[in-house]
Amino acid sequence: MTIFLSSLGFGLVTASVLAIAAVGFTLQFGVTDVLNLAYGAIMIAGAFVAYVVNQAGLSVWVGLVVAVIACSLGSVLLNSGVYTPFQRRGTSPITLVIVSLGMTLIIEFGVQALAGGTAVSYTMSQGTTFHAGGLILSVVQLVVIALSIVVMLGVHGLLRYTRLGKAMRATAANKSLARNCGIRTDRVITITWALTGGLCGLAGVVFAMDSGSFDATATDLFLILILAAVFLGGPGQAYGAMLGAVVIGLATEISAAYITADYKYVVAFVALLIMLGVRPTGLLGARA
Amino acid sequence: MNAFYLINLLVYAAVDAMACLGLSQQFGVAGVTNFGFIIFQAAGGYAAAVLALPHDSANGGFQSYIGGLNLPFPLPWIGAAVVGGLIAVPFTFLVGRRLRGDFAAVGLLVTAVLLNLLVTNYRPLLNGSAGLSLIPTPLHGDNVFSVQTAGYQWVFTVAAIVLALAVYVFVRRITGSPYGRSLRAMRDNDVVADSLGKNLLSLRTAMLVTGGAIAGLSGGILVTYITTWSPAAWGYAETVVLFAAVIIGGAGNHLGAILGAILVPVGFEEITRFIPTSNSLPPNLIPSLQWVAIGLLIVIFLWLRPQGILPERKRVIRLPAARAPAARMAAPPGGAAAAAVPSPRPPAPQAHEQPPAAPQDRPVVLETVDVTREFGGVQAVAGVSIQVRKGTLTGLIGPNGAGKSTLLAMLAGTLPVTSGKIIYEGRDITGVPAFRRARLGLVRTFQLASEFKRLTVMENLLSAVPGNRGDTFRGSLLGKRYWQADETAAIARAEAILERFGLEQFANHYAGDLSGGQRRLVEIMRALMAEPATLLLDEPMAGVHPNLARRIGNELVALCEEGMTILMVEHELAIMDEFCDPVVVMAEGAVLAEGTMEQLRGRSEVVEAYLVG
Repeated sequence: MTIFLSSLGFGLVTASVLAIAAVGFTLQFGVTDVLNLAYGAIMIAGAFVAYVVNQAGLSVWVGLVVAVIACSLGSVLLNSGVYTPFQRRGTSPITLVIVSLGMTLIIEFGVQALAGGTAVSYTMSQGTTFHAGGLILSVVQLVVIALSIVVMLGVHGLLRYTRLGKAMRATAANKSLARNCGIRTDRVITITWALTGGLCGLAGVVFAMDSGSFDATATDLFLILILAAVFLGGPGQAYGAMLGAVVIGLATEISAAYITADYKYVVAFVALLIMLGVRPTGLLGARA
Repeated sequence: MNAFYLINLLVYAAVDAMACLGLSQQFGVAGVTNFGFIIFQAAGGYAAAVLALPHDSANGGFQSYIGGLNLPFPLPWIGAAVVGGLIAVPFTFLVGRRLRGDFAAVGLLVTAVLLNLLVTNYRPLLNGSAGLSLIPTPLHGDNVFSVQTAGYQWVFTVAAIVLALAVYVFVRRITGSPYGRSLRAMRDNDVVADSLGKNLLSLRTAMLVTGGAIAGLSGGILVTYITTWSPAAWGYAETVVLFAAVIIGGAGNHLGAILGAILVPVGFEEITRFIPTSNSLPPNLIPSLQWVAIGLLIVIFLWLRPQGILPERKRVIRLPAARAPAARMAAPPGGAAAAAVPSPRPPAPQAHEQPPAAPQDRPVVLETVDVTREFGGVQAVAGVSIQVRKGTLTGLIGPNGAGKSTLLAMLAGTLPVTSGKIIYEGRDITGVPAFRRARLGLVRTFQLASEFKRLTVMENLLSAVPGNRGDTFRGSLLGKRYWQADETAAIARAEAILERFGLEQFANHYAGDLSGGQRRLVEIMRALMAEPATLLLDEPMAGVHPNLARRIGNELVALCEEGMTILMVEHELAIMDEFCDPVVVMAEGAVLAEGTMEQLRGRSEVVEAYLVG
């Protein structure tokens, strides 16, 4: 039982990081119809921004704020400077994916060129660990979980109750119709990328915190987890991404406790492939 | 430059060229974006290795792996190609019709990462992350060759280059055949290709297996040259390099694939030799910058020159010797389609004495029984039962949102029904996929521009021809002599249709370059090339000059007199008036009325639907 509970604890943390990341990714896809595979690269860029701030003597939490801002700006630039021009030309979705792969290489290995290949970690204290009937979590881990809950609630509130949220949902559902209804879709798209870019940066930093040590290629595998969560819940569906994150996060960590840890990603990958083959619109998506 | 350096360069060039040719065939020609491409090369490499290696207890048993059959050359290479092809089969579920292209590509990418993980972590399979080493080189056992000599190495190199050239000939043969044309049509617009009778799943499976076998062979050759193979050599990043090579060299052009292979995988490695190393630079910098450069090249090329350095060649088809100019009026070049005058058709020979039967007395060829289509709770088509009779030009009209195009899509098989039945020539075809319906003679056109843009007008027409011997995988391999006769006949038919519609001077223009009205004509001509018994036209006159619309209408009437059945969705009531009998009116998903336009004009609910809807 203790194995299960402690892996449940890990699972909750992973699910939290994954939820923040997956919601950002899925909203980007929903509103622009681009599978932004460079998302993982921007995450790790954010992690390194926080690292630089941390090395300069400031707390890593300050670094987190700086990273969120940096990734927010970077994501807006990525969309306006790269994806939108290609889309305006009528480029096919598959070519856009290849473009996003190219951007991944540029960003990820650009970070590696600047930061070097060795793994680094933040100077931070993990805080006291809490034991709750077998669950063992440190303060930092609890903060990550709490942050994730705040983000989920925030996204829920945004989409449900604000005009911006409704405009985002309308743009995602049918962009030209939304525009004809008077919604300034270009602005909505820019704001969406700014918000989700911020989520991406946040996800990158908490990912780095959770991983302990990281290098520029650390998010390569994590991106696949994000894709698994997104497709499980339905691409473009924010609530689906949250559901997917919980499922994938828990499934990977709990299975890791019982099978060798090396195979824990396999569970997620297989789930993703099955979803793509059987129900590509995801668990919460509409039937095609 | 010493000999071993050159040999190394040439072997890598041959292997990379072969892999790029396989990818070019899959991606450039057939439009199958396989981000897991590297898996097939890896599988081939491992297959060659475990076939050539002795049992894993040999050499002190420091490696553990399956196989170990110690087979002599050339079996490891053959096994590599076979395994590469077989590995492709399970992945066909990802490239069937149902999944979006970019989703499928991501699925394949994930598979590549997954398999790399599995192989790395499950040591008994293929020795895990350490990989396999001491792989025997070909003919190592025979005492004829001493493996270390330059002579042996040169023979190996020549063998690799010869095989690469053989692969080049092989893919060129496939691409240059009618089968290759179908592949390119699928690439340009898969939904339309499906509606013209192409079996997309079968085509994509064939391409996955072919590309896989080629990649596998390249892996086998590479592995028996460098005598080691490990997961680090085939991460998903390697697939990105190959894609970069094919994109930069020119997707769809096989020489471009070879050029790309020389420039990117080989070129990059070689350039780094000339960069001065210095201890002040961090050790990771050059490799990191290499990757950044590849990423930049991909994005820049896709922006500035997406067709690559060597773009896909236009395939010009020589028409038979020009007919007497008096038989047709040449339209001014680039003139509006309205100026083109089809030659006056001779009156249809009256084979029968009695006048043709009235429309309502003819047999029913196509009918729907209570057909419904729902989209998330909205009924676009609600319980529609119509009957289309043989030899009629039946019109289907209604205000926007009436469900006309949806109904047509269900008839053609492009969209599945939510409930109800569709019966064609007495047979229930509700579950029959679109491409099979086309082969049964039920062919549709599309409302929005749907020509195959990167095929010429002539190729567009030829792509629709059913039953061309060269339009199968086997037929394409048997070569020109096998399918030339069918092709010539098809070209003659295409030329006749082009003349009938007055577009013969555009035969070798890219279909995407024509004006809107001309493309509309190409669409209709292409559907006719499919030898339909029943033709479903989705707003064929939309955006077309009224004179041209009238001429198209006359052609359609003539076709009906020859026995074809046509169901036409249209907005223009004048067209309905002049050409269609009977006419079916739909509104809000249901049939409102049926009859001739005169009868319908008198019915108030029809008039209201048009004013209100």
